[in-house]
Amino acid sequence: MNPFKLVIKELFYRKINSLVILLTVIVAATVSVAVFTLSKASENETRKIMREQGLNLYIFPKGTNLIDFFSVNNTPAFSEDYVDVLADSKTFDAVRHLTGILQLKYPDWIDPNGSRHQIVVSGYKDEAVQRFLNKQETMGFDVEPGTVHVGALLSVNIPEGEPFRILGKDGEEHTFEIAKRLIEGKGILDQGVAFHLADLQQLLGMEGQINRIEALGCVCHDGRIKNARMQVQSIFPDLEVTEVGSIAEARENQRLMMNKYGSFLIPFVVLASLLISGLLFYANVNSRRYEMGIFKATGKSNSFIVSIIILKAFLIGLVGSITGFFAGSGISEYFGQKIFRFTATDIEPLWNIFGFAVLIFPVLWMLSSWIPALLATQVDAAGILSGE
Amino acid sequence: MLLAIEYDVMLQFEGITKRYKKAGIIYPALEEVSIRIDKGEFVTVTGPSGSGKSTLLNIAGGLINPDFGNVYFHEQNIYLFNNSEFDDYRKRHVGYVFQQFHLIPYLTVFENIRMVCSGLTVAQQIDSYLEKCSLQPLRNKYPSELSVGEKQRTAFIRAIINHPDLLLADEPTGNLDPLNSRILMSLTKEFNQSGGTVILVSHDQDSKQFASRHITLDSGRLISDQKIT
Repeated sequence: MNPFKLVIKELFYRKINSLVILLTVIVAATVSVAVFTLSKASENETRKIMREQGLNLYIFPKGTNLIDFFSVNNTPAFSEDYVDVLADSKTFDAVRHLTGILQLKYPDWIDPNGSRHQIVVSGYKDEAVQRFLNKQETMGFDVEPGTVHVGALLSVNIPEGEPFRILGKDGEEHTFEIAKRLIEGKGILDQGVAFHLADLQQLLGMEGQINRIEALGCVCHDGRIKNARMQVQSIFPDLEVTEVGSIAEARENQRLMMNKYGSFLIPFVVLASLLISGLLFYANVNSRRYEMGIFKATGKSNSFIVSIIILKAFLIGLVGSITGFFAGSGISEYFGQKIFRFTATDIEPLWNIFGFAVLIFPVLWMLSSWIPALLATQVDAAGILSGE
Repeated sequence: MLLAIEYDVMLQFEGITKRYKKAGIIYPALEEVSIRIDKGEFVTVTGPSGSGKSTLLNIAGGLINPDFGNVYFHEQNIYLFNNSEFDDYRKRHVGYVFQQFHLIPYLTVFENIRMVCSGLTVAQQIDSYLEKCSLQPLRNKYPSELSVGEKQRTAFIRAIINHPDLLLADEPTGNLDPLNSRILMSLTKEFNQSGGTVILVSHDQDSKQFASRHITLDSGRLISDQKIT
């Protein structure tokens, strides 16, 4: 008789035992998939928050006064070629979104009403494409040449449809199309204007100059600031790196904590389920001792006896892992929408772990049935069948 | 695979000793038993409980290793077989019938028989046995739906479906009423008359009337061995 048919018939005959074993796989698979999916969602959320927070690493000349740096008080400038050299480096991989910036105070801007203001002007070089990355979506200001993004506080002083006008170092008035009016909450840029770097350099007569590089530190455990500083200074010893603390950091810590929980929870649940399952397989084999005796008495080999138990474990593992994958994904989606603010709608089943789950759980459950299967081959057929 | 050479001596027990140990005490089951069983014999084995009848049967079926002695099947020592030869011996040369039937509860009557068949045994052959044993209408019933007599007849077909050389029956009528006992014994006799060798362990004195030879054991020793004419 086909062992597959035999296994299926036995599965349905001992429904309770089969269902409880199936439940252990479903629980293990559900928890594993849910924790993994939520962990991934948390990572995406962290990235998104970091993106919302803006670039968080600043690179500038050594010796720069940090009070002046953060209050935009004309800090030393350096060549914008530094950005390209860093982007082209084989060893500098601790950051993303390298952006050369020239940021200065412009002390005497006259708004369309004739009022004079001290504003902050920032010129953004196009984000460098690092040699180990494909072109990414720009994270900082993507300002087209000839246009500006105007901060919220300046924007109220410029009527709709008007261009942005500013006097250059050459004494001429320069006009820029306002491509974007920024909303409040951009910090110092609320009172500033974002230019394309080349436009600002020309306006201020600082061609080829920047005074900071901003970047996004990677999401990594090994101290991104320390790592980034070491990498930058191995290329340019005259540069320094500092980091802006942010919610993102707290989020990242939260994510790392969740990963730690996950790395404890998944093995704990899987091992506990395997243990319960192993005991259930043992109980199953024990209740089928006379069946095993009959198999032996009728000349079925030990490998046949092992195979029908292992096959049962495989089938339960397969069905349990598929069910657990969808249950875990569903739970992640349901609770993820309540937990994550920015990526709530992005939580979807991780199909790349589907194959993994469908492979690993049947294998684990086959292993959990291994000892009971071997015990099944050792039953005393004579004693059992003769009723001794 | 075993050699398919025909010998008159089918099974030979040579100085078989088997002892069980329970709670540190040794119980002798068989003590230096030597028996020769020829092809086509119908041997009944009787004796009081604990006399070693079932042990003898299980040693013949390759389910228990003797402590001492040899068992020859067609002059081949079965306890020198490797695992696959042992499986082959039990599958092709031995059929078992037990007092407790031991049908697989989740298989139908047909499937219980089909389970032990080699690929060559066709459904038609099973059906003809079912017909002969008045089980055809119960072909797709489960053991829980059968009477004890029907269960034992199913177990009997399972034991002989592969045309074994040797049928080992351990108290097959122990749970049956007189009518069903007689039906089963008739079927067993029919198997014997078609050339099969039978060793039947029984308390039932009536079973002797079907036998060609009667062996009595007591305390693991061979007390008598009589040919019945």
